[in-house]
Amino acid sequence: MTAQPQTTGHREQPLLEVRDFQVELITDAGIIRAVDSVSFSIHRGETVTIIGESGSGKSTTAMGILRLLPEDLAVLSGTVLIDGVDVTADPKAIDKVRGKTLALIPQDPMTALSPVHSIGRQLFEAIRIAGAASAKDKDAVQARAIRLLEQVHIPTPEKQLKKYPHQLSGGMLQRVLIAIALASEPQLLVADEPTSALDVTVQGGILDLLLELQEQRGIGILMITHDLGVARLISDRIHVMKDGRFVESGDVQQIVDHPATEYTRALLAAVPVLGPWDETPTASTGESRGAPGAHASEITTDPATDSALTQTGASHD
Amino acid sequence: MTNYILKRLGQGLLTVFLTVSTVFILIRMAPGDPAVSYAGPLATNEQLAAVREQFGLDRPVLEQYWIFLQQLFTGNLGTSYSFQAPAMQVVAERMPYTLTLATAAILLTAVVAIPLGVWMSRRPDTGKELGVNVLTIAGQSMPDFWTGIMLLTGFAVLIPIFPASGFATWGGLVLPTITIAILQIALISRMVRREMTANFAAPYLTVARSRGVRNSVLTWRYAMGNSAIPVFTALGTRFAAMLNGVVVVEVVFAWPGVGSLIVRALETRDYPLIQATVLLTALLAVGVQLLIDLAYPLLDPRVRLGKAATA
Repeated sequence: MTAQPQTTGHREQPLLEVRDFQVELITDAGIIRAVDSVSFSIHRGETVTIIGESGSGKSTTAMGILRLLPEDLAVLSGTVLIDGVDVTADPKAIDKVRGKTLALIPQDPMTALSPVHSIGRQLFEAIRIAGAASAKDKDAVQARAIRLLEQVHIPTPEKQLKKYPHQLSGGMLQRVLIAIALASEPQLLVADEPTSALDVTVQGGILDLLLELQEQRGIGILMITHDLGVARLISDRIHVMKDGRFVESGDVQQIVDHPATEYTRALLAAVPVLGPWDETPTASTGESRGAPGAHASEITTDPATDSALTQTGASHD
Repeated sequence: MTNYILKRLGQGLLTVFLTVSTVFILIRMAPGDPAVSYAGPLATNEQLAAVREQFGLDRPVLEQYWIFLQQLFTGNLGTSYSFQAPAMQVVAERMPYTLTLATAAILLTAVVAIPLGVWMSRRPDTGKELGVNVLTIAGQSMPDFWTGIMLLTGFAVLIPIFPASGFATWGGLVLPTITIAILQIALISRMVRREMTANFAAPYLTVARSRGVRNSVLTWRYAMGNSAIPVFTALGTRFAAMLNGVVVVEVVFAWPGVGSLIVRALETRDYPLIQATVLLTALLAVGVQLLIDLAYPLLDPRVRLGKAATA
């Protein structure tokens, strides 16, 4: 939730405008329409969340907007304007916004950095691409790198620069990746399940950081998640996605309080609730199915949501 | 680190010792008599017995082995029967030729195979890539004696650009080097392509692309940086193998290296020469392998700095 009032008419150009966006994936089994005519927009300081189960097309939407899907296997159509630049019409246009107005926070921080290059080297590279510090001035690049790591609350940043990804924890790596994303002073962050690979205890810290940065800088965020708890905490608007389409869209509170479709109700009900240790025998069945929210045994689930739970489970589209 | 080097050095020396000991026993179990080779087919029994006594072959095998062990520690493996010179010296004189050929072949392989593999990985499923792919399969399938003879016929006989045999001029290095490299290029380029393709699909590469890293940097710094370890290992291992003598190619091109020497030593059952060749080439191969192991930390920080709790 940002301080930005919702009512200030969006007369300014949106940071991201998506109209009738379609992604068709060419597979051995034929052509699959993974994203089917979705439209939405994000303005400065806004967080828009796409929520849905695995395979609903939410990550494909994000990767398609960023043009990170394999060029020969994914056919994009419709219009995607990033800060006014149409990236669907011209494949080269994305280069104008990558590493500049646009940044990605990836799903799994443990695999998102090159294992044989140091944190510093990868951060310096991002700073040079952004052109924020004179690329030849080593000290300026270093100073900027340290400032970025401080901004994402990484302790002893000088020491971390020399480290390699395998020496940091998942939560720390996600902070490093956010620092790398911030190197270019982006206007729009695309966060593809930024906390789903992290331990529950550090998830909150990462979300707090994103909110803090948004408040400071007025960044627009496109959040992809299957976790309604995350969506509730961070979003202004939510689009509920199923089978490549938005089945429901609107203000976060409105959707949580008055879900219009059965699918949204199932997603809502899939949020685990805290309960006593051994309340009902159904608690154990929920856990044994490997429900995504059930990280600790004291979390119990409503048996009615089991199907939704297993569908929104750990595997990612 | 010092402990690691000492440990690997000890293992390497043990490997060499076991290798030469095995060869010592095997050549004596194999049919053939050095005395017959030395004295000729017309020699009388008395002459053969005299030769055996001269070479110490009339003594029990265990005693011969004991003498061999003593020789091993002094570094003097006796006199070659056919060269009538210290066996170690004969091998040492041939070693630079094999080293030259192996170095030239591995350099040519690296220079051609790495860019070729990268090129193939960047253009999957195109007509050109398919063509190169077929060529690499052909290169892998051609036996080197055949490749060697074809190159000889083509570029030493029909179009006499290069000398047909020996190493009188640097031109003589060209055809044997190419003969060896064709097979190695075929193998290594396919491996480079496989590694690069895997790294191009890795999440870190997609994330780097998302922040505007240029394609050339993604290819060479990211994907190649992460493919370097297996590719380097393969190149090093192949180089070590070549030091044992590139036997067929050396024979085809009458190359004065260790490979052609070992063929002659085996034909004449020249035990000291066989043992000296095996000892020197095994030492070199183990040494190269040790250098490869020591280079890992330079290529991979995970080896250099140890695996953290969260690997």
